[in-house]
Amino acid sequence: MPIRTNPTPPQVLPKNFLRPCLLLLLREHPAHGYDLLERLRPLGFGRDDPGRLYRALRTLESDGLVRSVWEKSSSGPDRRMYELTRAGMETLHNSAQDLKETGEILDVFLSRYSEFVALDSGTRSPVKQRDS
Amino acid sequence: MDELEVLRVRDEVLQAMYWMHSEAISTMPTARELSRFLAVPEGVLTAYLDRFVTDDLLEHDGSSYWLSATGMDTGKRTFADEMADLTRPTHGECDDDCWCHDSPEAAAECLHERSSHAHSH
Repeated sequence: MPIRTNPTPPQVLPKNFLRPCLLLLLREHPAHGYDLLERLRPLGFGRDDPGRLYRALRTLESDGLVRSVWEKSSSGPDRRMYELTRAGMETLHNSAQDLKETGEILDVFLSRYSEFVALDSGTRSPVKQRDS
Repeated sequence: MDELEVLRVRDEVLQAMYWMHSEAISTMPTARELSRFLAVPEGVLTAYLDRFVTDDLLEHDGSSYWLSATGMDTGKRTFADEMADLTRPTHGECDDDCWCHDSPEAAAECLHERSSHAHSH
């Protein structure tokens, strides 16, 4: 029986999941860093590590998937505005395709597991993890 | 300290601090916060931060660091400089009316001019 609701983001996200998430958010519309930080939350990322976002954006820009410009601000320092490049759009599409295939495999796993135990969203088993 | 390395770290730190400041994430981070932000060891970073205080790029109150006016300008300028080449549109990202769409030869010439930063739209 589940004993608690899990208030934190899931601990197991696909490797480098931040990268396609940022590309997706920038596909929706160009954004500043702080805006991206906020919009990453529903995708499973906390706000407690803005450095991770900063480094990811730098890498995406170095890879030519994102570009940025200073946007003038009347009330504070100029902020970097990020937008997707064409290469970024293509990479996002390939990532989405990969994630779709991963999702289909996970669906098979969950379907087979559900023959034993029904999983509720946001709950964890009381069973302690074994030491590896 | 290797002075080339000092310059590299200087740009990295000032750019990150400017970004943190502009995004209202932190205007006065501690060495620990900065080291986490940049994913570098705190002990290594602190020596550089103190050097940048000496160079009047940062100010320091014993625990927190913040950008001086010079540090603010340098951080913003080097950020833009570093990304300028990377953020310039690549071939295939031209406007629809660019002459480079006319022929393979024109496209090749456009690509060449982009790489030498002479082509503009």
